[in-house]
Amino acid sequence: MFPIYKKELRTYFTQMMGYIFLAFMTILMGLFYTMIVLMSRNANFQGVLANTTIFFLFLIPILTMRLFSEEARHKTDQLLFTSPLTVTQIVMGKFLAALTLFLIAAGITVIFPLMVSRFAESMPVSRIVGTYVGWILVGVCCIAVGVFISVLTENQIVAAVGTFAAIFAMFLMEAFAMSMPTSAFASLVFVGLIIVGVVGIWFNSTRNIISSVIVAVIGIAVAVGLYLFNNLIFDGIIVRALLWFSIYSRFDSFVLGILNLSDIVYYVAFIALFIYLSINVIEKRRWR
Amino acid sequence: MIEVRNLTKVYGQHKAIDQINFTVDDGEIVGFLGPNGAGKTTTMNIMTGFIAATSGEVSINGLDIVSQAEKAKAQIGYLPDTPPVYGDMRVDEYLNFVADIKGVKRSTRKKMLEDIKRQVRIEDMSRRLIKNLSRGYKQRVGLAQAMVGYPKVIIMDEPTIGLDPKQIIEMRDVIKSLGNKQTVILSSHILQEVSAVCDRVMIINRGKIVASDTPEKLSATLNRGNNRMQVTVKADKQSILKALAEYPIIRNVDAQIGREPGTTDLILSGERDDTDIREFIFRCMAKHSLPILLMKSTELTLEEIFLTLTGDVRSGPTGYVQSITSANDDNNNSDYYETDDADDETDNDTTDKTAQPQDATGQEQDQDQDQAQPGGEDQ
Repeated sequence: MFPIYKKELRTYFTQMMGYIFLAFMTILMGLFYTMIVLMSRNANFQGVLANTTIFFLFLIPILTMRLFSEEARHKTDQLLFTSPLTVTQIVMGKFLAALTLFLIAAGITVIFPLMVSRFAESMPVSRIVGTYVGWILVGVCCIAVGVFISVLTENQIVAAVGTFAAIFAMFLMEAFAMSMPTSAFASLVFVGLIIVGVVGIWFNSTRNIISSVIVAVIGIAVAVGLYLFNNLIFDGIIVRALLWFSIYSRFDSFVLGILNLSDIVYYVAFIALFIYLSINVIEKRRWR
Repeated sequence: MIEVRNLTKVYGQHKAIDQINFTVDDGEIVGFLGPNGAGKTTTMNIMTGFIAATSGEVSINGLDIVSQAEKAKAQIGYLPDTPPVYGDMRVDEYLNFVADIKGVKRSTRKKMLEDIKRQVRIEDMSRRLIKNLSRGYKQRVGLAQAMVGYPKVIIMDEPTIGLDPKQIIEMRDVIKSLGNKQTVILSSHILQEVSAVCDRVMIINRGKIVASDTPEKLSATLNRGNNRMQVTVKADKQSILKALAEYPIIRNVDAQIGREPGTTDLILSGERDDTDIREFIFRCMAKHSLPILLMKSTELTLEEIFLTLTGDVRSGPTGYVQSITSANDDNNNSDYYETDDADDETDNDTTDKTAQPQDATGQEQDQDQDQAQPGGEDQ
């Protein structure tokens, strides 16, 4: 894992991407720092952080777009995947390199609150620390999604646009989820569609029509059974499912300085899920 | 020792490789020979664990490439068809990175990398960015990468493609020197190249191994020296055919109007494989005062070898692998038999079908079938 990590980190600074990312991040933070803190004479640095999360939209794709796409395009993935390293080590090495660069950027921005603290009479330290934790967690979630999308394509541009779209969708997810129907029947249809989707993936990987049909029939029967037995549990399931992907909606409590364990667990689970998916997509592609 | 058993890879509806079986002994240099799309790269990608087979097994020194992937991969150095180099790294950085991922110990690394660089002649390139290197040097860096850690097995996909003639000779020397210590498997679609370096050649076509033997025996079998001649005669086709009819020992394989006006180009072969027909051709033509303008022995081109071999595979039952063997015992690894008990009868049928006058190898195969042990396996 460490050789991959080292190589990726090095590549960020031989291919400009690292510099571009750090420069953009610092400029944006500086801009918002000037507007929110300096010009309004307000020590609430957490406002700067909260306002800059939207820029992950295009900052994170810079970090993640080339991670796997470029290896596939230059066929260097043949070296990595035929080496004694495991896929997990390769994915983790790359993910941690992106994470490190992101943390370097976060580290640089700490200068701003430090400057404010020199002059401010009262600093909302707990809120700023909380916001930093949330800001980093949201950023790392975006990186995990970016790594996953980079695994899916050989084309860097497609990876960048895909990551942009995915983060954009997560940003809008809360508003989108709220407009979904909450009736139990709509939820049943939604669950049915998910079962069909899962069975489709199952069939695609096993090519076994009998087991796929059995799984589909059992799944749908259980869903319908639950619906007839107690349809309350279906209430608002669409909204709950979609909100799971709304990484920004949990950010607000961090801005208030509240480190909620369930939120942290949520973010860690979200990151782990996408890393796991990345590893499995690669394994799947190679072992079929 | 590499063992490949019943390897099959299916892409959608297309069978890229179909029930391939072979073993490679330690220290052997084996060449895969085949036209584009024959399944060489697919086989190599599966052997190195880059892609998975649909069915079948590969074991490297007893380690399964799927279930014991990390240990098995540690025994292999792989040079794919495109050298897997990072353009933004310097040669030294790159080789160090490869040493890192292969887990080469720091204490032995420096000397090892120096040795490898000397062997593939890239010592002067250590500080150069790989993206600025020529195709040939990139290929050598790719080979150096495969050699890092001195793996027991080195697998190379078209190692000399894109190199100039001097580099090709150098590359061959390197490959030969590897064969002393390491097992080498390489692929190529150039017959000369494989025969220059390999102890054994496997001809792959349409995903099947159609022949496996030493290069000498393969070419001896397939190019029967003075048995098959290209002749240009200054006469029309009719009178030549009439003259040839008196000499049943000569078979007219092919006749067509020659490039020069008034001439006919012929491909003639002997009735038996060991006959030298040059003299008969002369006597035949001289008797009828037909001037011979040109006579030279035709070596079967790779394409013709393939046409011959693949013709057999298509007419034979599925899974039937035609073996070209010879009684010469100077090389233990040279003989490769693979015939199924059940196929014995059908084999003979196949041979009968192919022993047409047009098929120059028909007779040879007949003998081969006799030599092949019934139900014989890898020897």
